[in-house]
Amino acid sequence: MNALRIEQLTISLPHGVKLCDQLSFTIEPGRVLALMGPSGSGKSSILSWITGTLATEINATGKLWLGDVSLENVPTEKRRLGLMLQQDYLFPHMSVAQNLKFGLQSGDKAEREQKISESLSNAGLAALQNANPATLSGGQRSRVSLLRSLLSEPCALLLDEPFARLDSQLRQQIREFTWDACKELPVLLVTHDKADIPVHADVLELIDHYA
Amino acid sequence: MGSSARSGMDRALRPISVFLDKLITEAVPHTVSSDRALPVLAAIGVVLLFSTPLLIGLTGTIAPAFGLMPELAPGNGFAQLLEDPRFLPALKLTIKTGVIATLLVLLFTVLALVCLHKTAWWRWMLAALPPLLAIPHAALAVGLVFLVAPSGWIVRLFSPWLTSWDRPPSDWVVPDAGGWSLIAGLVMKEAPFLLLAAAAQLPRLNVDALLKIGLTLGYSPARCWSRLILPTMYPRIRLTLFVILAFNLSVVDMALLLGPGNPPTLSVLLLSYVNEPGFRAAASAGALILAVGMAVLFVVVMLLERLIARLANQRRESGHRGHGSGLFRQIGKYLVLALTLCSILTIVALLLWSFTQRWRFPSVLPDTFTSRHWLGRSDLLLDPLLATILFALFSSIATLVAAVVWLEAERLGAVKKIDWLWYVPLFIPQITLLFGWQAASLISATDGLWITVAYAHWVYTLPYVVLILAVAWRELDPNWNNAASVLGAGYWKVLFRIRLPLLIKPVLQAMAVAVAVSVAQYLPTALLGAGRHNTLAIEVVTSFGGVDRRVIATLAVLQSLLPLIVFSLALFIPAAMQQKQRS
Repeated sequence: MNALRIEQLTISLPHGVKLCDQLSFTIEPGRVLALMGPSGSGKSSILSWITGTLATEINATGKLWLGDVSLENVPTEKRRLGLMLQQDYLFPHMSVAQNLKFGLQSGDKAEREQKISESLSNAGLAALQNANPATLSGGQRSRVSLLRSLLSEPCALLLDEPFARLDSQLRQQIREFTWDACKELPVLLVTHDKADIPVHADVLELIDHYA
Repeated sequence: MGSSARSGMDRALRPISVFLDKLITEAVPHTVSSDRALPVLAAIGVVLLFSTPLLIGLTGTIAPAFGLMPELAPGNGFAQLLEDPRFLPALKLTIKTGVIATLLVLLFTVLALVCLHKTAWWRWMLAALPPLLAIPHAALAVGLVFLVAPSGWIVRLFSPWLTSWDRPPSDWVVPDAGGWSLIAGLVMKEAPFLLLAAAAQLPRLNVDALLKIGLTLGYSPARCWSRLILPTMYPRIRLTLFVILAFNLSVVDMALLLGPGNPPTLSVLLLSYVNEPGFRAAASAGALILAVGMAVLFVVVMLLERLIARLANQRRESGHRGHGSGLFRQIGKYLVLALTLCSILTIVALLLWSFTQRWRFPSVLPDTFTSRHWLGRSDLLLDPLLATILFALFSSIATLVAAVVWLEAERLGAVKKIDWLWYVPLFIPQITLLFGWQAASLISATDGLWITVAYAHWVYTLPYVVLILAVAWRELDPNWNNAASVLGAGYWKVLFRIRLPLLIKPVLQAMAVAVAVSVAQYLPTALLGAGRHNTLAIEVVTSFGGVDRRVIATLAVLQSLLPLIVFSLALFIPAAMQQKQRS
């Protein structure tokens, strides 16, 4: 696995406000960097810039590396970044297994089926293989969403407030599941809840630009 | 009308009362408390006013087709129809033009979504859609002829420097025998309708987030659309697509202007029967065949949907990411933009011709301009303009009242949702309903009356108004009502001072759509008006080919201007009101 490196990132809104100025950081494999800050501080914009989906009207300059590979002109679909958002976005027209298959790279059918069964069993979701996502609980949905990201074999994982919609009891359970599942990847976590941050994480606090 | 025709009609009308009885039983709860009696009665009134002409229309078409009204429609309609050598070619042409146009509309919509969404062109495209939708069919058809005819604007743009033509070529004619001009016109008119319906679904489907997820999972943008977004979007735009298919199969005014003459489309052939003595039974039989054919095509589309869904399901599981070819998206983008530009050019061409004094071939622009077609032909313009405005005014106000009555009754729990009913006139060919309605109006001696034509406009505009308004009406937070009620406001005060002002934007948009639909109505005015109500739609269609090109252009521009003005007002008034409130 390779480190995720950002150099001198500057993001400015159309009316001139700078969300971040010359921001640089590196996340080594197995490490978590927690990006904290109030709403509007630019956390999600940084994430969107990394994935290559930042709105065109927002100006951004900086360098992005995955190991020695520059991701600057690489389209989103070729960046090999896993993404989990606040909402799980399980595709409603696919079953749980189909959602996971959608994440898997193409290959031998039997092998793919086996991978799905194994990952569902490991996550304690074996019985839900053919379930409709609409019938799952919040915690089950979060786990399936994370599994889908991991099955696409990403080189880094980006988490945008992934626990915010869960109730407090479930939150702790899913946090543990998440940190356990992605312990070999560089992980960028965006949150405004300190309890979300694992003990081994580094923390970067952004300021409120409108304060 | 003789007694046998009346007794035939009486027999035929019996199932209508049974149907209406069932409909009201479905819509109205079994027990109605006294405070809900008024909304229930008003809502039943709306349903009866709306569904009675539909049932009478259908019955008045079915009965003559099967020889049940021999005095009005003698002979065996089906036999007459099959004896006409034009019937089968007309049916084939109708299926060809209707199906191909609908497929192209769907293709245009998908291409626009996949290739333009998230580009700088997308906003431009969305801004161009409402004005394009507002242009009446007949006006667009005339503009298209001015654009693609051998002496049209496109040829002029490239002549003589590229084509070396000093005179209009004689290699092709518009309308062409294959029906391709008609297909082009239908695509230009209906594609904005489907694209607007699809664009309205994008925020509800969280398309931005789905694209983000799909892309970060490694799928190309086109694959994200085909595997994630389109499968969830299609069920939401399916009804609109069916409405478009129904329209494309049964259109009359555009087919008269852009369709071939021999054979014409089935609707045009049937319309010619109505004007021929002794062919009314054949006209009814043909209208029935058209409706049945349409139903069969709906079933075929539904079967195809299942097949495609099964194949798509298998492909989705393969994990193939796609190559993300930028070339495909570029080609798609330019195709969509070219078609949109053509639609805009048709209107520009109409506008230019309406101010032209002399425009020799191959000049790109008129040699001399004049305003005399506008100012000097008031004899030709004013009466149709006035007639059109009166019908549009009546339709927009009467449909708004009816829609509010129904939606309020629904909100109060006095009636249940019956959205399927409002779609009925959109799914049955106009010709199938109107032949019967015309027969009934002949029997009751109401044909040619202003109110009969206005009633038909009301029936054809009400579905759009109810369906547009229903979304906003049902979604408005009930706490607004509660907040006003606890302050002591009664029912009417809450309705007029709270609900309607809060919903002013959709209310005005629905009224603008009502005006646009009414202004474009050709067949109801032609069949029920008995030639006494010459609206702009009637004038544009009947003048085409026989009157000076510049005068037709003026009529078509005038017809387009009305909905455009009303749509602009519908945008401007709420914005002005908001500004006033802020200041």
